[in-house]
Amino acid sequence: MSNFLSYQNIDFRFGDQNYYASSVSLSAQASVDAVLLNDGSLLNYAPNGAVVGGLSVDFYLTGSLPSFLQITGLNESPIDVSFAGVKINQVYSKSLSFSVEPFQPIVISAEFDWYGNVLLEDFNEQSRLILNNKLIPDYIANGYKSFITTSDIEGVGFIVSFDYNMSCDRPAYFNVDEVVPFRVAKLNKTSELSIKSNTLGKILSIDGKSAITNITLKDTYNTSLDLFKVSGVLTNQNYEISEGQYLLASAKITQTIPETKTLI
Amino acid sequence: MSSIISGLNIKNIFEYNPLLSYDKFDIIDYQLITGISVYPNYTGFGNTGLCSWFNNDYLEDFATDGNFNITGWTNKVINSGNLLQFSLDDNVRPNVVFNEPYITLKNLEFLSGTGFEHTKRTIFIAANTSSPNKPNIDKQKIIKFGPLDSPNGSLQVAGTNGNLQARLILDNTSFFAVSPIYDETNIFTLIQDAGTSLKVRQNGLEVGQINSPNAQWNSSYFEIGNNPGNNGINYYDLFYFSGILSETQIDYYEKYLFEKYFPESDGLFFAKKDVPVGEQYSPIFFTGKDYWTKNINDLFNFNYGSSANFTANLSPLKMGDGYKTNIVNTINTLNATFNLVYDGLTDAQAKCLIAFFENTPESPNKSIYEGFKGVTTNLFNPYKSNAELYFKKANFNSSYNNINKITIEAESLYDSSLDYKGMHVVLDEIKIKTYTETVDSLTTHDVFYYPSTSFIDRGYYFYTGINRNSTNATGPVTGPASGPFNKILIGPSESPTGTNSFFTKDFYFKGDLEYDINENVRLFSTEMKNSTIEYSKDGINYNILEFSVSFNRRTNQEARAILKFLDDKAGFKIFSYTLPQPYNKTISVYCPEWNHTYNFINNNDISVKFIEFKNPANPEALFNTQIKLT
Repeated sequence: MSNFLSYQNIDFRFGDQNYYASSVSLSAQASVDAVLLNDGSLLNYAPNGAVVGGLSVDFYLTGSLPSFLQITGLNESPIDVSFAGVKINQVYSKSLSFSVEPFQPIVISAEFDWYGNVLLEDFNEQSRLILNNKLIPDYIANGYKSFITTSDIEGVGFIVSFDYNMSCDRPAYFNVDEVVPFRVAKLNKTSELSIKSNTLGKILSIDGKSAITNITLKDTYNTSLDLFKVSGVLTNQNYEISEGQYLLASAKITQTIPETKTLI
Repeated sequence: MSSIISGLNIKNIFEYNPLLSYDKFDIIDYQLITGISVYPNYTGFGNTGLCSWFNNDYLEDFATDGNFNITGWTNKVINSGNLLQFSLDDNVRPNVVFNEPYITLKNLEFLSGTGFEHTKRTIFIAANTSSPNKPNIDKQKIIKFGPLDSPNGSLQVAGTNGNLQARLILDNTSFFAVSPIYDETNIFTLIQDAGTSLKVRQNGLEVGQINSPNAQWNSSYFEIGNNPGNNGINYYDLFYFSGILSETQIDYYEKYLFEKYFPESDGLFFAKKDVPVGEQYSPIFFTGKDYWTKNINDLFNFNYGSSANFTANLSPLKMGDGYKTNIVNTINTLNATFNLVYDGLTDAQAKCLIAFFENTPESPNKSIYEGFKGVTTNLFNPYKSNAELYFKKANFNSSYNNINKITIEAESLYDSSLDYKGMHVVLDEIKIKTYTETVDSLTTHDVFYYPSTSFIDRGYYFYTGINRNSTNATGPVTGPASGPFNKILIGPSESPTGTNSFFTKDFYFKGDLEYDINENVRLFSTEMKNSTIEYSKDGINYNILEFSVSFNRRTNQEARAILKFLDDKAGFKIFSYTLPQPYNKTISVYCPEWNHTYNFINNNDISVKFIEFKNPANPEALFNTQIKLT
């Protein structure tokens, strides 16, 4: 008889730190090609690369963002994660995003790649004791006090909501005869900010519009949790109006994060 | 800046400084000391007090008998004593070692002389001691003062060749050596201060001191060699000064010996882990060998995408009618080049690898008759782990900050297809084994070498049955049918030469579903002026095929078998191949070219070029001699 495991809430750990996750998704992807022979027979399915695991998690921010989630930073190191009895050694962060809307709690979405083996048979339910004794966080990032400042965008009016995303590609490099990479690098680091406002000023030019923005995430008690900066170019403007609604303008600001080479 | 550093296109490489720490992949130019080197007879310092100097620069440095046994080693310092051997016994007379910069004194051989009396000396010796026959017992004398076996004043080496095991012995006092004492050249420096102290340095680092050396250190009698039962000591250079030289002067003379006799230890070294501060971490010392390397296998591994290309160097002799014979131009017919991929490198790693690549011509010569040594390379699957490659070209590609890819094209020159074990896919007794009747398991495409006195039967066989181990050895008769205990017993009828064999010597591999075959009819043409070209067939074999076959995405096991088959055929041997639909005919071919790319585990691309050969695959005349290279 098979069991369906039930979770009241999800204990998610980065390293040795607990986070309050609302959902966790785990996946694995293999890439294979059929090998067909000149007599028409099928030889086998050949692997094209390693199994690439995916992990995405939505969690509430209860403090400052841990360093390993600074996607656009220099740190390439992996982190161990565990949830529901399953441990994944060495996950590599590749994107982080959140949305801020008035009076709404802010949920951080993070995505990771992982390689190697995971013991899925270790999945188990939380014990009643753990559930009953679980500590409830006092501070959760919330749109109530969080805000955004725009110091350089000409003509932007009242920002009613915004979405933030930072991401990078994580190419994996393998030594021969190995299926776990010796290095998972970072490249193409970008951060994006989408804002909704009542007005965006003049239409953008062929160069876009220069934009410097600062996001401050706070909890409901006005405690600052973290700061995010997007200093890039506004490349997209949209204006929408529908019957019975206000006109809403939306724009996307994109920043490419460079890395200056260190002379060696 | 040394000539080595100035010859590189890489900046910020410096001579080794023991006062600095280094990071993994850092590069140093090791020169023993950063100062100058000075010849022993250099007089720029004033009267140096050089009393004796023996080396091997010229044959005239030796007095010999008619058999080139050495009767005397001439002191280069005029009017100073020579080292002699008066005995007519060949057992005690060493031989001149032509073409080498040393003389070897083995077993009972020795040279001795008088007139070496001094109370204060600074002695320099460059010598290479062979491993002792009894490491726990034998002590090998490097030098000895005084005519008696005991007491005397002596420097000896003893122990095994490891850290905290190898020892230097002054008289009867033992000190741990800082560098290997056997099978490597060492500089021993002795600083003798009358009867009050005697210090010994090994390769520039002080190892120990005794305060009451034996009185025989002041003796006139000096002897080298005489180590019964041992393979000998190679003496490169030996000189001493009366009096005690300054530390700086000692450094200069030690560097002279280092530059002359340490080609393996000179030049660039690469940090294989973070290196602490300290002279003991110099590359030539025991502790330093854990941190510094010249071996690329200690630093980098290949990445997927590495490939190999093989081309046979043949001169076809055409006989007409499409018949020909392939003249093999050299003893190593097959040229192998490897494209070695190093991807995902950090800038520091890329700098290290580029410096390694650019520095490969600085490797010592293989011998006085040959060019520099290639790079000992642990090749990727299924190739050998000790190939000697010459790094010829490198492509550096940087796709993003701190992400680099370097592809090195390397050529193999000294691996021979004459070796029955194979040229690059070798009989290693691990993945490819000599055939035995009892095996642990059988996997499709296993390769065995079948030894036999019969040329026809001898050679490499490929297992074509299903996978077998002791638990399924009694299944359907598509593999060996029985096996005792945890082994499989292959009966005579199922052996490679048996009547129900599941082994073959034929090319049984099937190419990819998609293939091309281009045909060119061989024709003579006669073209007369202002007339139509006239064609006529070129003899009786005018449809000779030359085509490629691809074996893409094959498992490592099958790739090894295919590549072993081709390696064994050495680019010119004839074998049978059955053409695919709609041809379906079995023809004789040889394979002068093939290439292999290792894409991923169990994903290998192999492309081969087959040329039809209008002769039977099995030769009628046999060269039935097996040559084993040992």
